[in-house]
Amino acid sequence: MDVDVLIVGAGPAGIVSSIELAKRGLKVVVIDEYYKPGGRLLGQLYEDPNLPKENNLWDGKVIASKLTEEAVALGVTILCETTAWKIEEQFIVYITDTTVKEIHTKAIILATGAIEKALPVKGWTKVGAISVGAAQTFTNLHNVKVGSNVVFVGIDPLSISVALEMKHAGINVLGMFLPAPSMLVSEKSNPKITLETLALASNLAPNKLFRIFGKFVKGKISNLVLSMLKFNLIKINGIPIYLRKAVTEINGKRKVESVTIKKLSVKGQINRDQEKTLYVNTVCLSGGLLPLVDSSQLVNCEMVDIPKLGGIVPLHNQFLKTTIDGVYVAGNITGIEGAKVAMAQGKLAALSLLYDLQLVEQDEVIEAFESVEVARIESPLQFYPEIKIGRQIMKDKWEEFQGVRGVVN
Amino acid sequence: MKRKEIPYKDLKSDKVSFIFNDITVTGVRGQPIAVALMSNGIYTIRHCEVTGEPRGIYCGIGHCYECRATVNGIPSKRTCLTLIEEGMIVSSDTDISYGAE
Ligand SMILES: Cc1cc2nc3c(=O)[nH]c(=O)nc-3n(C[C@H](O)[C@H](O)[C@H](O)COP(=O)(O)OP(=O)(O)OC[C@H]3O[C@@H](n4cnc5c(N)ncnc54)[C@H](O)[C@@H]3O)c2cc1C
Ligand code: FES
Repeated sequence: MDVDVLIVGAGPAGIVSSIELAKRGLKVVVIDEYYKPGGRLLGQLYEDPNLPKENNLWDGKVIASKLTEEAVALGVTILCETTAWKIEEQFIVYITDTTVKEIHTKAIILATGAIEKALPVKGWTKVGAISVGAAQTFTNLHNVKVGSNVVFVGIDPLSISVALEMKHAGINVLGMFLPAPSMLVSEKSNPKITLETLALASNLAPNKLFRIFGKFVKGKISNLVLSMLKFNLIKINGIPIYLRKAVTEINGKRKVESVTIKKLSVKGQINRDQEKTLYVNTVCLSGGLLPLVDSSQLVNCEMVDIPKLGGIVPLHNQFLKTTIDGVYVAGNITGIEGAKVAMAQGKLAALSLLYDLQLVEQDEVIEAFESVEVARIESPLQFYPEIKIGRQIMKDKWEEFQGVRGVVN
Repeated sequence: MKRKEIPYKDLKSDKVSFIFNDITVTGVRGQPIAVALMSNGIYTIRHCEVTGEPRGIYCGIGHCYECRATVNGIPSKRTCLTLIEEGMIVSSDTDISYGAE
Protein backbone atom coordinates (compact mmCIF):
# COMPACT_ATOMS: atom_id res chain seq x y z
CA MET A 1 0.00 0.00 0.00
CA ASP A 2 1.35 3.44 -0.97
CA VAL A 3 0.34 6.49 1.05
CA ASP A 4 1.53 10.03 1.72
CA VAL A 5 1.36 9.82 5.50
CA LEU A 6 1.15 6.96 7.97
CA ILE A 7 -0.09 7.79 11.46
CA VAL A 8 0.56 5.41 14.35
CA GLY A 9 -2.23 5.74 16.94
CA ALA A 10 -5.90 6.62 16.41
CA GLY A 11 -6.30 8.63 19.61
CA PRO A 12 -7.39 12.28 19.53
CA ALA A 13 -3.95 13.42 18.31
CA GLY A 14 -3.70 10.88 15.48
CA ILE A 15 -7.26 11.29 14.20
CA VAL A 16 -7.14 15.09 14.21
CA SER A 17 -3.83 14.93 12.29
CA SER A 18 -5.39 12.62 9.73
CA ILE A 19 -8.32 14.98 9.21
CA GLU A 20 -6.07 18.01 8.60
CA LEU A 21 -3.92 16.08 6.13
CA ALA A 22 -6.85 14.52 4.26
CA LYS A 23 -8.49 17.95 3.95
CA ARG A 24 -5.44 19.04 1.91
CA GLY A 25 -5.75 16.03 -0.35
CA LEU A 26 -3.10 13.76 1.12
CA LYS A 27 -3.59 10.01 1.23
CA VAL A 28 -3.51 8.99 4.88
CA VAL A 29 -3.66 5.71 6.76
CA VAL A 30 -3.96 5.45 10.54
CA ILE A 31 -3.09 2.24 12.37
CA ASP A 32 -4.15 1.38 15.93
CA GLU A 33 -3.67 -1.74 18.00
CA TYR A 34 -7.00 -1.36 19.84
CA TYR A 35 -10.20 -2.74 18.36
CA LYS A 36 -11.72 0.68 17.82
CA PRO A 37 -10.41 4.19 17.21
CA GLY A 38 -10.44 6.89 19.90
CA GLY A 39 -7.55 6.04 22.21
CA ARG A 40 -7.98 7.21 25.77
CA LEU A 41 -10.79 9.54 24.71
CA LEU A 42 -13.05 6.50 24.81
CA GLY A 43 -13.05 6.31 28.61
CA GLN A 44 -13.49 10.02 29.30
CA LEU A 45 -16.78 11.29 30.68
CA TYR A 46 -17.04 14.32 32.92
CA GLU A 47 -18.33 17.84 33.26
CA ASP A 48 -15.94 20.33 31.77
CA PRO A 49 -16.14 23.70 33.55
CA ASN A 50 -14.69 25.42 30.48
CA LEU A 51 -17.60 24.45 28.27
CA PRO A 52 -20.90 26.38 28.23
CA LYS A 53 -23.08 25.32 31.17
CA GLU A 54 -26.03 23.94 29.15
CA ASN A 55 -23.71 21.68 27.26
CA ASN A 56 -20.75 20.99 29.49
CA LEU A 57 -20.48 17.22 29.31
CA TRP A 58 -17.16 16.03 27.88
CA ASP A 59 -18.13 12.64 26.51
CA GLY A 60 -15.02 11.21 24.91
CA LYS A 61 -16.88 8.33 23.21
CA VAL A 62 -19.04 10.76 21.29
CA ILE A 63 -16.12 13.02 20.40
CA ALA A 64 -14.11 10.00 19.21
CA SER A 65 -16.94 8.75 17.04
CA LYS A 66 -17.49 12.20 15.47
CA LEU A 67 -13.78 12.62 14.73
CA THR A 68 -13.59 9.12 13.27
CA GLU A 69 -16.61 9.70 11.04
CA GLU A 70 -15.11 12.96 9.83
CA ALA A 71 -11.79 11.29 9.02
CA VAL A 72 -13.40 8.37 7.21
CA ALA A 73 -15.62 10.74 5.22
CA LEU A 74 -12.48 12.56 4.07
CA GLY A 75 -11.05 9.28 2.79
CA VAL A 76 -8.75 8.37 5.67
CA THR A 77 -8.17 4.64 6.09
CA ILE A 78 -8.17 3.46 9.70
CA LEU A 79 -6.75 0.00 10.37
CA CYS A 80 -7.64 -1.26 13.83
CA GLU A 81 -6.05 -4.23 15.61
CA THR A 82 -2.92 -3.35 13.72
CA THR A 83 0.52 -2.35 14.86
CA ALA A 84 3.89 -1.67 13.23
CA TRP A 85 6.74 -4.03 14.02
CA LYS A 86 9.50 -2.68 11.77
CA ILE A 87 10.12 0.61 10.01
CA GLU A 88 12.76 0.95 7.29
CA GLU A 89 14.16 4.20 5.98
CA GLN A 90 12.02 6.71 4.04
CA PHE A 91 9.74 4.72 4.87
CA ILE A 92 8.63 1.13 4.60
CA VAL A 93 6.42 0.21 7.53
CA TYR A 94 5.77 -3.46 8.26
CA ILE A 95 2.45 -3.98 9.98
CA THR A 96 0.66 -6.88 11.63
CA ASP A 97 -2.39 -6.73 9.35
CA THR A 98 -2.86 -10.00 7.50
CA THR A 99 -3.78 -8.50 4.14
CA VAL A 100 -1.77 -5.27 4.01
CA LYS A 101 1.68 -6.39 5.09
CA GLU A 102 3.66 -3.25 4.35
CA ILE A 103 2.94 0.41 3.83
CA HIS A 104 5.19 2.71 1.80
CA THR A 105 4.90 6.25 3.04
CA LYS A 106 6.60 9.62 2.63
CA ALA A 107 6.03 10.75 6.20
CA ILE A 108 5.07 9.38 9.61
CA ILE A 109 3.27 10.90 12.58
CA LEU A 110 3.71 9.06 15.85
CA ALA A 111 0.69 9.55 18.14
CA THR A 112 0.84 6.55 20.44
CA GLY A 113 -0.29 8.29 23.64
CA ALA A 114 0.50 7.17 27.16
CA ILE A 115 0.56 4.12 29.41
CA GLU A 116 0.02 3.76 33.11
CA LYS A 117 2.86 3.19 35.51
CA ALA A 118 2.43 0.08 37.61
CA LEU A 119 1.76 0.53 41.31
CA PRO A 120 3.03 -2.66 42.94
CA VAL A 121 1.37 -2.54 46.36
CA LYS A 122 1.55 -5.88 48.19
CA GLY A 123 -1.22 -8.13 46.86
CA TRP A 124 -1.77 -6.11 43.67
CA THR A 125 -2.02 -9.15 41.38
CA LYS A 126 -5.22 -10.39 43.05
CA VAL A 127 -8.42 -10.51 41.04
CA GLY A 128 -10.19 -7.22 41.73
CA ALA A 129 -7.06 -5.07 41.85
CA ILE A 130 -7.13 -3.06 38.62
CA SER A 131 -5.51 0.03 37.18
CA VAL A 132 -7.32 3.34 37.26
CA GLY A 133 -7.39 3.31 33.45
CA ALA A 134 -9.22 -0.03 33.45
CA ALA A 135 -11.68 1.37 35.98
CA GLN A 136 -12.29 4.38 33.73
CA THR A 137 -12.68 2.32 30.55
CA PHE A 138 -14.97 -0.29 32.09
CA THR A 139 -17.13 2.29 33.81
CA ASN A 140 -17.49 4.86 31.06
CA LEU A 141 -16.93 2.97 27.81
CA HIS A 142 -18.29 -0.48 28.61
CA ASN A 143 -20.84 0.56 31.27
CA VAL A 144 -19.89 -2.34 33.50
CA LYS A 145 -19.41 -2.03 37.25
CA VAL A 146 -15.92 -3.18 38.21
CA GLY A 147 -17.12 -3.82 41.77
CA SER A 148 -19.50 -2.65 44.42
CA ASN A 149 -17.18 -1.44 47.21
CA VAL A 150 -14.08 0.26 45.90
CA VAL A 151 -11.02 2.04 47.24
CA PHE A 152 -8.39 3.94 45.29
CA VAL A 153 -4.66 3.77 45.95
CA GLY A 154 -2.75 6.75 44.58
CA ILE A 155 -4.18 10.26 44.86
CA ASP A 156 -3.70 12.40 41.76
CA PRO A 157 -5.87 14.44 39.39
CA LEU A 158 -6.67 11.38 37.22
CA SER A 159 -7.60 9.05 40.08
CA ILE A 160 -9.76 11.72 41.69
CA SER A 161 -11.63 12.32 38.47
CA VAL A 162 -12.13 8.59 37.86
CA ALA A 163 -13.36 8.12 41.45
CA LEU A 164 -15.95 10.83 40.86
CA GLU A 165 -17.03 9.18 37.59
CA MET A 166 -17.42 5.82 39.37
CA LYS A 167 -19.42 7.33 42.19
CA HIS A 168 -21.62 8.97 39.58
CA ALA A 169 -22.16 5.54 38.02
CA GLY A 170 -23.50 4.26 41.35
CA ILE A 171 -20.41 2.51 42.67
CA ASN A 172 -19.65 2.86 46.36
CA VAL A 173 -16.25 4.57 46.60
CA LEU A 174 -15.10 4.18 50.20
CA GLY A 175 -12.06 6.38 50.00
CA MET A 176 -8.78 7.32 48.37
CA PHE A 177 -5.46 6.47 50.00
CA LEU A 178 -1.76 6.77 49.32
CA PRO A 179 0.31 3.67 48.50
CA ALA A 180 2.59 2.32 51.24
CA PRO A 181 6.11 3.64 50.69
CA SER A 182 8.54 1.19 49.08
CA MET A 183 11.59 1.19 46.88
CA LEU A 184 9.43 1.57 43.81
CA VAL A 185 6.86 3.94 45.18
CA SER A 186 8.26 6.92 47.01
CA GLU A 187 6.90 10.28 45.88
CA LYS A 188 3.43 8.84 45.53
CA SER A 189 3.52 7.90 49.23
CA ASN A 190 4.48 11.33 50.46
CA PRO A 191 1.50 13.36 51.75
CA LYS A 192 3.33 16.64 51.29
CA ILE A 193 4.34 16.01 47.67
CA THR A 194 0.88 14.67 46.86
CA LEU A 195 -0.81 17.75 48.29
CA GLU A 196 1.62 20.08 46.53
CA THR A 197 0.98 18.36 43.20
CA LEU A 198 -2.77 18.59 43.66
CA ALA A 199 -2.52 22.20 44.74
CA LEU A 200 -0.41 23.08 41.70
CA ALA A 201 -2.86 21.30 39.42
CA SER A 202 -5.68 23.23 41.05
CA ASN A 203 -3.93 26.47 40.41
CA LEU A 204 -4.05 25.76 36.70
CA ALA A 205 -7.36 23.97 36.47
CA PRO A 206 -10.20 26.25 37.39
CA ASN A 207 -12.77 23.65 38.36
CA LYS A 208 -14.36 23.18 41.72
CA LEU A 209 -12.68 19.91 42.36
CA PHE A 210 -9.21 21.36 42.36
CA ARG A 211 -10.17 24.65 43.93
CA ILE A 212 -10.56 22.61 47.10
CA PHE A 213 -6.86 21.87 46.94
CA GLY A 214 -6.04 25.32 45.62
CA LYS A 215 -6.57 26.86 49.01
CA PHE A 216 -3.51 25.02 50.24
CA VAL A 217 -1.26 26.60 47.69
CA LYS A 218 -1.44 30.05 49.22
CA GLY A 219 1.85 30.15 51.03
CA LYS A 220 4.02 27.09 51.38
CA ILE A 221 2.31 23.92 52.46
CA SER A 222 3.51 23.63 56.00
CA ASN A 223 3.79 20.59 58.19
CA LEU A 224 1.09 22.22 60.27
CA VAL A 225 -1.38 22.06 57.39
CA LEU A 226 -0.52 18.41 56.93
CA SER A 227 -0.88 17.62 60.61
CA MET A 228 -4.28 19.19 60.48
CA LEU A 229 -5.19 16.92 57.59
CA LYS A 230 -5.23 14.08 60.06
CA PHE A 231 -8.28 15.61 61.70
CA ASN A 232 -9.77 17.57 58.85
CA LEU A 233 -10.70 15.00 56.31
CA ILE A 234 -11.03 16.32 52.78
CA LYS A 235 -14.16 15.14 51.00
CA ILE A 236 -14.93 15.69 47.35
CA ASN A 237 -18.54 15.02 46.43
CA GLY A 238 -18.75 12.70 49.38
CA ILE A 239 -15.57 10.73 48.59
CA PRO A 240 -13.10 10.82 51.49
CA ILE A 241 -9.53 11.64 50.49
CA TYR A 242 -7.07 10.33 53.08
CA LEU A 243 -3.77 12.10 52.53
CA ARG A 244 -2.38 10.75 55.80
CA LYS A 245 -3.26 7.09 55.35
CA ALA A 246 -1.72 4.39 53.18
CA VAL A 247 -2.86 1.04 51.90
CA THR A 248 -0.09 -1.36 52.94
CA GLU A 249 -1.59 -4.59 51.66
CA ILE A 250 -4.40 -5.91 49.51
CA ASN A 251 -5.84 -9.04 51.12
CA GLY A 252 -8.05 -11.90 50.00
CA LYS A 253 -7.86 -15.59 49.38
CA ARG A 254 -9.03 -15.93 45.83
CA LYS A 255 -9.78 -12.31 45.12
CA VAL A 256 -9.74 -8.94 46.81
CA GLU A 257 -11.61 -9.06 50.12
CA SER A 258 -10.07 -6.21 52.08
CA VAL A 259 -7.21 -3.72 52.34
CA THR A 260 -4.96 -2.99 55.30
CA ILE A 261 -4.63 0.68 56.12
CA LYS A 262 -1.98 2.35 58.25
CA LYS A 263 -1.39 5.94 59.24
CA LEU A 264 1.32 7.97 57.55
CA SER A 265 3.51 10.60 59.17
CA VAL A 266 3.78 14.03 57.59
CA LYS A 267 6.96 12.84 55.85
CA GLY A 268 5.31 9.72 54.53
CA GLN A 269 6.51 7.15 57.04
CA ILE A 270 4.26 4.35 58.16
CA ASN A 271 3.04 4.36 61.71
CA ARG A 272 3.38 0.69 62.57
CA ASP A 273 1.21 0.64 65.67
CA GLN A 274 -2.21 1.24 64.32
CA GLU A 275 -3.82 -0.61 61.49
CA LYS A 276 -7.31 -0.92 60.18
CA THR A 277 -8.99 -3.32 57.79
CA LEU A 278 -11.44 -2.02 55.24
CA TYR A 279 -13.65 -4.55 53.47
CA VAL A 280 -13.80 -3.97 49.71
CA ASN A 281 -13.99 -6.09 46.58
CA THR A 282 -12.14 -3.79 44.22
CA VAL A 283 -8.97 -1.73 44.43
CA CYS A 284 -8.09 0.84 41.76
CA LEU A 285 -4.38 1.54 41.52
CA SER A 286 -3.11 4.85 40.15
CA GLY A 287 0.62 5.01 39.56
CA GLY A 288 0.66 7.92 37.10
CA LEU A 289 1.16 8.11 33.33
CA LEU A 290 4.19 7.69 31.07
CA PRO A 291 4.55 8.62 27.38
CA LEU A 292 4.40 5.47 25.21
CA VAL A 293 7.47 5.84 23.04
CA ASP A 294 8.48 2.42 21.70
CA SER A 295 7.40 3.35 18.16
CA SER A 296 9.88 6.26 18.10
CA GLN A 297 12.66 3.80 18.76
CA LEU A 298 11.60 1.88 15.64
CA VAL A 299 12.56 4.93 13.58
CA ASN A 300 15.64 5.78 15.67
CA CYS A 301 14.47 9.15 16.95
CA GLU A 302 16.82 10.85 19.39
CA MET A 303 15.27 10.50 22.87
CA VAL A 304 15.50 12.77 25.93
CA ASP A 305 14.49 12.28 29.55
CA ILE A 306 12.40 15.19 30.83
CA PRO A 307 10.59 14.20 34.06
CA LYS A 308 8.46 17.36 33.93
CA LEU A 309 6.89 16.03 30.71
CA GLY A 310 6.39 12.56 32.16
CA GLY A 311 9.67 10.79 31.32
CA ILE A 312 11.59 9.76 28.22
CA VAL A 313 10.20 11.33 25.04
CA PRO A 314 11.40 11.78 21.44
CA LEU A 315 13.36 15.01 21.00
CA HIS A 316 11.27 17.43 18.95
CA ASN A 317 10.96 21.09 18.07
CA GLN A 318 8.04 23.39 18.87
CA PHE A 319 6.39 22.36 15.62
CA LEU A 320 6.58 18.68 16.58
CA LYS A 321 9.30 17.61 14.14
CA THR A 322 11.62 14.92 15.46
CA THR A 323 15.29 14.43 14.71
CA ILE A 324 14.40 12.12 11.81
CA ASP A 325 13.34 13.89 8.59
CA GLY A 326 9.73 13.11 7.79
CA VAL A 327 8.85 11.90 11.30
CA TYR A 328 6.58 14.01 13.50
CA VAL A 329 5.02 13.47 16.93
CA ALA A 330 1.72 14.56 18.49
CA GLY A 331 -0.22 14.02 21.69
CA ASN A 332 0.91 12.29 24.86
CA ILE A 333 4.01 10.80 23.22
CA THR A 334 5.45 14.34 23.59
CA GLY A 335 4.44 14.69 27.28
CA ILE A 336 1.39 13.92 29.37
CA GLU A 337 -1.48 16.36 28.95
CA GLY A 338 -5.25 16.27 28.48
CA ALA A 339 -7.23 15.37 25.38
CA LYS A 340 -7.73 18.96 24.21
CA VAL A 341 -3.99 19.51 24.05
CA ALA A 342 -3.57 16.21 22.18
CA MET A 343 -6.11 17.35 19.58
CA ALA A 344 -4.45 20.72 19.14
CA GLN A 345 -1.06 19.02 18.80
CA GLY A 346 -2.53 16.67 16.21
CA LYS A 347 -3.40 19.68 14.09
CA LEU A 348 -0.02 21.29 14.66
CA ALA A 349 1.90 18.17 13.60
CA ALA A 350 -0.21 17.93 10.44
CA LEU A 351 0.34 21.60 9.55
CA SER A 352 4.03 21.37 10.32
CA LEU A 353 4.27 18.44 7.89
CA LEU A 354 2.17 20.28 5.28
CA TYR A 355 4.46 23.28 5.61
CA ASP A 356 7.48 21.12 4.92
CA LEU A 357 5.70 19.87 1.80
CA GLN A 358 5.04 23.52 0.89
CA LEU A 359 1.30 23.00 1.00
CA VAL A 360 0.48 25.63 3.64
CA GLU A 361 1.83 29.04 4.64
CA GLN A 362 3.82 29.71 7.77
CA ASP A 363 0.97 31.72 9.37
CA GLU A 364 -1.18 28.63 9.54
CA VAL A 365 1.51 26.72 11.40
CA ILE A 366 1.96 29.59 13.86
CA GLU A 367 -1.79 29.72 14.39
CA ALA A 368 -1.90 25.98 15.11
CA PHE A 369 0.99 26.42 17.51
CA GLU A 370 -0.92 29.10 19.38
CA SER A 371 -4.01 26.88 19.57
CA VAL A 372 -1.98 24.35 21.54
CA GLU A 373 -1.25 27.05 24.14
CA VAL A 374 -4.95 27.93 24.32
CA ALA A 375 -5.92 24.27 24.70
CA ARG A 376 -3.45 23.97 27.56
CA ILE A 377 -5.10 26.85 29.41
CA GLU A 378 -8.56 25.41 28.79
CA SER A 379 -7.74 21.89 29.95
CA PRO A 380 -9.72 20.84 32.99
CA LEU A 381 -7.18 18.19 33.92
CA GLN A 382 -3.48 18.74 34.44
CA PHE A 383 -1.31 15.66 34.96
CA TYR A 384 2.16 17.13 35.37
CA PRO A 385 1.89 20.56 36.99
CA GLU A 386 5.19 21.84 35.60
CA ILE A 387 4.46 20.86 32.02
CA LYS A 388 5.19 24.35 30.67
CA ILE A 389 8.67 24.29 32.15
CA GLY A 390 9.04 20.82 30.63
CA ARG A 391 8.13 22.20 27.19
CA GLN A 392 10.75 24.96 27.62
CA ILE A 393 13.39 22.37 28.55
CA MET A 394 12.50 20.47 25.37
CA LYS A 395 12.93 23.66 23.32
CA ASP A 396 16.36 24.25 24.85
CA LYS A 397 17.42 20.66 24.25
CA TRP A 398 16.34 20.87 20.63
CA GLU A 399 18.39 24.04 20.11
CA GLU A 400 21.35 22.43 21.78
CA PHE A 401 21.01 19.40 19.49
CA GLN A 402 20.71 21.59 16.38
CA GLY A 403 23.83 23.44 17.52
CA VAL A 404 25.72 20.17 17.75
CA ARG A 405 24.47 19.16 14.31
CA GLY A 406 25.44 22.59 12.98
CA VAL A 407 21.97 23.25 11.63
CA VAL A 408 20.29 26.62 11.87
CA ASN A 409 16.77 26.16 13.17
CA MET B 1 -8.72 -5.30 4.83
CA LYS B 2 -12.42 -4.45 4.34
CA ARG B 3 -13.12 -6.05 7.69
CA LYS B 4 -11.00 -3.56 9.52
CA GLU B 5 -12.00 -0.26 7.93
CA ILE B 6 -14.20 0.50 10.85
CA PRO B 7 -16.42 3.51 10.66
CA TYR B 8 -16.97 3.76 14.39
CA LYS B 9 -20.32 2.35 15.39
CA ASP B 10 -21.76 1.22 18.68
CA LEU B 11 -23.80 -1.88 18.18
CA LYS B 12 -25.23 -2.18 21.67
CA SER B 13 -28.33 -4.14 20.92
CA ASP B 14 -28.22 -7.83 20.13
CA LYS B 15 -27.22 -10.61 22.45
CA VAL B 16 -24.32 -12.95 21.80
CA SER B 17 -23.70 -16.24 23.62
CA PHE B 18 -20.35 -17.93 24.01
CA ILE B 19 -18.79 -20.66 26.12
CA PHE B 20 -16.43 -19.92 28.98
CA ASN B 21 -14.93 -23.00 30.63
CA ASP B 22 -18.00 -25.12 29.91
CA ILE B 23 -20.62 -22.58 30.92
CA THR B 24 -22.68 -20.51 28.53
CA VAL B 25 -22.29 -16.77 28.97
CA THR B 26 -24.44 -14.17 27.23
CA GLY B 27 -23.17 -10.73 26.45
CA VAL B 28 -23.93 -7.89 24.10
CA ARG B 29 -22.48 -7.61 20.60
CA GLY B 30 -19.50 -5.25 20.57
CA GLN B 31 -18.31 -6.23 24.04
CA PRO B 32 -14.82 -7.61 24.62
CA ILE B 33 -14.81 -11.04 26.32
CA ALA B 34 -13.58 -9.66 29.68
CA VAL B 35 -16.42 -7.14 29.74
CA ALA B 36 -19.08 -9.75 28.98
CA LEU B 37 -17.64 -11.99 31.70
CA MET B 38 -17.61 -9.17 34.24
CA SER B 39 -21.21 -8.23 33.49
CA ASN B 40 -22.05 -11.83 34.34
CA GLY B 41 -20.19 -11.60 37.64
CA ILE B 42 -17.13 -13.53 36.41
CA TYR B 43 -13.92 -11.77 37.42
CA THR B 44 -11.38 -14.62 37.30
CA ILE B 45 -10.17 -15.28 33.76
CA ARG B 46 -7.30 -17.71 34.32
CA HIS B 47 -4.91 -19.06 36.96
CA CYS B 48 -1.24 -18.24 37.17
CA GLU B 49 0.72 -21.10 35.60
CA VAL B 50 3.29 -21.06 38.39
CA THR B 51 1.45 -20.27 41.62
CA GLY B 52 -2.07 -21.29 40.65
CA GLU B 53 -3.43 -17.95 41.89
CA PRO B 54 -6.45 -16.59 40.07
CA ARG B 55 -5.99 -13.65 37.69
CA GLY B 56 -8.37 -11.12 36.16
CA ILE B 57 -8.06 -7.94 34.18
CA TYR B 58 -5.53 -5.32 35.23
CA CYS B 59 -5.03 -2.59 32.61
CA GLY B 60 -8.20 -3.16 30.60
CA ILE B 61 -6.68 -1.91 27.33
CA GLY B 62 -4.29 -4.53 26.05
CA HIS B 63 -1.00 -3.59 27.68
CA CYS B 64 -0.48 -6.07 30.54
CA TYR B 65 -1.60 -9.50 29.19
CA GLU B 66 -3.04 -10.42 32.61
CA CYS B 67 -6.42 -11.19 31.03
CA ARG B 68 -5.19 -13.74 28.51
CA ALA B 69 -7.15 -16.87 27.65
CA THR B 70 -7.47 -19.40 24.88
CA VAL B 71 -10.05 -18.30 22.32
CA ASN B 72 -11.24 -20.78 19.70
CA GLY B 73 -8.05 -22.74 20.22
CA ILE B 74 -5.72 -19.75 19.93
CA PRO B 75 -3.75 -19.32 23.16
CA SER B 76 -2.85 -16.04 24.87
CA LYS B 77 -5.58 -13.87 23.39
CA ARG B 78 -6.18 -10.73 25.42
CA THR B 79 -9.81 -10.92 26.51
CA CYS B 80 -10.02 -7.18 27.16
CA LEU B 81 -9.50 -6.61 23.41
CA THR B 82 -11.13 -9.62 21.80
CA LEU B 83 -14.78 -9.10 20.96
CA ILE B 84 -17.33 -11.83 21.71
CA GLU B 85 -18.82 -13.84 18.87
CA GLU B 86 -21.70 -16.27 18.80
CA GLY B 87 -20.55 -19.77 19.77
CA MET B 88 -17.01 -18.68 20.59
CA ILE B 89 -15.11 -21.02 22.91
CA VAL B 90 -13.08 -19.32 25.59
CA SER B 91 -11.05 -21.26 28.10
CA SER B 92 -8.73 -20.37 30.96
CA ASP B 93 -6.01 -22.69 29.69
CA THR B 94 -3.01 -20.63 28.86
CA ASP B 95 0.20 -21.33 27.11
CA ILE B 96 2.78 -21.80 29.81
CA SER B 97 5.59 -20.61 27.57
CA TYR B 98 4.04 -17.20 27.25
CA GLY B 99 4.78 -14.20 29.48
CA ALA B 100 7.10 -13.94 32.45
CA GLU B 101 5.56 -14.98 35.72
C1 LIG C 1 -5.55 5.60 31.65
C2 LIG C 1 -5.59 7.00 31.13
C3 LIG C 1 -6.64 7.84 31.47
C4 LIG C 1 -6.69 9.14 31.00
N1 LIG C 1 -7.75 9.94 31.34
C5 LIG C 1 -7.82 11.19 30.87
C6 LIG C 1 -8.92 12.03 31.16
O1 LIG C 1 -9.83 11.64 31.90
N2 LIG C 1 -8.95 13.28 30.63
C7 LIG C 1 -7.96 13.74 29.81
O2 LIG C 1 -8.03 14.87 29.34
N3 LIG C 1 -6.91 12.97 29.54
C8 LIG C 1 -6.81 11.71 30.02
N4 LIG C 1 -5.73 10.93 29.74
C9 LIG C 1 -4.63 11.51 28.96
C10 LIG C 1 -4.83 11.06 27.54
O3 LIG C 1 -3.68 10.43 27.19
C11 LIG C 1 -5.20 12.22 26.64
O4 LIG C 1 -6.45 12.72 27.01
C12 LIG C 1 -5.33 11.83 25.17
O5 LIG C 1 -6.15 10.70 24.99
C13 LIG C 1 -4.01 11.63 24.53
O6 LIG C 1 -4.22 11.47 23.17
P1 LIG C 1 -3.19 10.76 22.24
O7 LIG C 1 -3.82 10.79 20.89
O8 LIG C 1 -1.87 11.34 22.44
O9 LIG C 1 -3.10 9.27 22.79
P2 LIG C 1 -4.19 8.15 23.10
O10 LIG C 1 -5.52 8.70 23.30
O11 LIG C 1 -3.59 7.32 24.18
O12 LIG C 1 -4.21 7.28 21.77
C14 LIG C 1 -3.09 6.56 21.35
C15 LIG C 1 -3.54 5.41 20.49
O13 LIG C 1 -2.40 4.80 19.94
C16 LIG C 1 -2.56 3.41 19.96
N5 LIG C 1 -1.22 2.83 19.95
C17 LIG C 1 -0.24 2.97 20.87
N6 LIG C 1 0.88 2.34 20.48
C18 LIG C 1 0.61 1.78 19.28
C19 LIG C 1 1.37 1.01 18.37
N7 LIG C 1 2.65 0.70 18.60
N8 LIG C 1 0.76 0.59 17.24
C20 LIG C 1 -0.53 0.91 16.98
N9 LIG C 1 -1.28 1.65 17.80
C21 LIG C 1 -0.73 2.09 18.93
C22 LIG C 1 -3.36 3.13 21.19
O14 LIG C 1 -4.07 1.92 21.04
C23 LIG C 1 -4.28 4.34 21.27
O15 LIG C 1 -5.52 4.09 20.66
C24 LIG C 1 -5.65 9.62 30.18
C25 LIG C 1 -4.60 8.77 29.83
C26 LIG C 1 -4.57 7.47 30.28
C27 LIG C 1 -3.42 6.57 29.89
S1 FES D 1 -6.22 -6.46 31.07
FE1 FES D 1 -4.25 -5.84 30.50
S2 FES D 1 -4.10 -6.76 28.54
FE2 FES D 1 -6.11 -7.19 29.07
